[in-house]
Amino acid sequence: MPDSDKLAIAAHLHVLLRRKTGRVTDTEWMAANAEYALEIVRFARLRAQEDNAPELAEWADRLDQAVHQAPTPAARKPLLDVATQAVRQRLAPPPPPPPPEVPRYVGGIR
Amino acid sequence: MRGVLHRFVAVVGLCLGLYASALAQSPPEAVAGGAAPAAAVVALTRPSLVAQDTVNAAHTGWMMTSTALVLLMTLPGIALFYAGMVRKKNVLNTMASVVAIAALVSLLWFAAGYSLAFTPGNAWLGGWERAGFAGLDFDLAGGQLAVSHVAPHIPESVYAMFQLTFAIITAALLVGALVERMRFSAMLVFIGLWTLVVYAPVAHWVWEPGGWLAQMGALDFAGGSVVHVNAGVAGLVCAWFLGRRTGYGREPFEPYSLGLTMAGAGLLWVGWFGFNAGSAVAADGRAGLAMAVTHLAAAAGALAWMLGEWVVRGRPSLLGLCSGLVAGLVAITPAAGFVTLRSAVVIGLVAGLACYWGATGLKRLLRVDDSLDVFGVHGIGGIVGSLLTGVLASRTVGGVPGSLLTQAIGVGAVMAYSLVATAVLLWLVNFAMGLRVDEQSEQTGLDIAQHREHLGG
Repeated sequence: MPDSDKLAIAAHLHVLLRRKTGRVTDTEWMAANAEYALEIVRFARLRAQEDNAPELAEWADRLDQAVHQAPTPAARKPLLDVATQAVRQRLAPPPPPPPPEVPRYVGGIR
Repeated sequence: MRGVLHRFVAVVGLCLGLYASALAQSPPEAVAGGAAPAAAVVALTRPSLVAQDTVNAAHTGWMMTSTALVLLMTLPGIALFYAGMVRKKNVLNTMASVVAIAALVSLLWFAAGYSLAFTPGNAWLGGWERAGFAGLDFDLAGGQLAVSHVAPHIPESVYAMFQLTFAIITAALLVGALVERMRFSAMLVFIGLWTLVVYAPVAHWVWEPGGWLAQMGALDFAGGSVVHVNAGVAGLVCAWFLGRRTGYGREPFEPYSLGLTMAGAGLLWVGWFGFNAGSAVAADGRAGLAMAVTHLAAAAGALAWMLGEWVVRGRPSLLGLCSGLVAGLVAITPAAGFVTLRSAVVIGLVAGLACYWGATGLKRLLRVDDSLDVFGVHGIGGIVGSLLTGVLASRTVGGVPGSLLTQAIGVGAVMAYSLVATAVLLWLVNFAMGLRVDEQSEQTGLDIAQHREHLGG
């Protein structure tokens, strides 16, 4: 899962926790540190039960899934496709990676 | 107790203002009608009574249509445009603010605003002769009616209404800078004062023939400086004075529905034909050209913003397209009756890119929570349009040449006055009743906290 998606889930959970429980969390650290994220997941699930807030549990599950998600295994490709791609890469170098995405609607709507 | 006292002071202040304006009414101007109609119209230097056949039916019809179009820009145009961009818990407060402003500014315009802006006085402010719309007469039996010296071919009642819709939308634009955190009562008192103390004098400077910027030759066809630079700067001051919303810069502020924003932007685009082509105050060739340049600039602005966003961020957005078309419309506003069609495309393209920077890069530099980018879009668009009018104005189209220096002086004067006067008014209102809601209300949302209403769904 891309980091931007993890950050978006963390931001949602951050807002929900503050609204529903008053607990203030660190969004960026939640997306970066698995240990912290799992503690927040535990807390969110606990409060979801106590306060009867299914939305909290739903977003805690999403964060849990994002933290535990193993990288997807590469699909098998026909030999011809692999060879074609290798030739293309020799002819034209791959484009530079896109700049990291800023989380949407933070510090401005546009 | 303190709250009650503050409310009492606010209500008394408002009543005194209205009462003073009513007392200040002077009797209607001496009748100028009865003489040959054409001669009477040519000689007008102040609002007067003239023979009914002096006014032109086509011009009057178009101006009544334009008035409806410009009101449509605010109700529901601006209301939808802004409400779609705020969080769900503040949608109703945003809409209520726009509706209340439309009603409040209407009564203030009737009481004093129109007179202060559009009657002869001195170079800085008009007189009181039309306070309470005194003298806006229609005498069926006598065959006479009142006309303004600014618009002698249409009834003054229509001209006053047309200008009223401009005062309404200018005040409504400010809502974008103060959403989600300003007390509703404080907002009403501030907007009322701002309309009389800031908007009316600036309109007089630029549009009444005796105003000092009009005398200097500053060009502003439909309100680039009077409406957009004025509202943009005032919005920035409001945002600075109110402070940032809780969580600004740390949390995502999800817009409620950009679909509503698109509907609002569409109404703005259509309504702007009345805004710009109506400012010709005639159903003639100049109005037709103003309509065409308005449309082209909107299209160029939308595409310029879209391309800028596509290049910088990798994706074009609906909000970018809507913002870009508004940027183009804002920038063509001062130029609409002075430039050619090709110049309109240039103005739209430049404004689209400049306002994209204004709402993103400049916003980060300023570090002010101008929530819906009133300065970034209206302030920057107004400045760009006003300055480019000085460069691109065609003598063939408007009959006058442009001057970049004169335009810069006009824009600078409006910016300076708007900044200082807005800051003083905000300070006064803050002192009298407090501007900002408490933190709990902000967390709950202003729909519940200020109106005890809930959007539902």
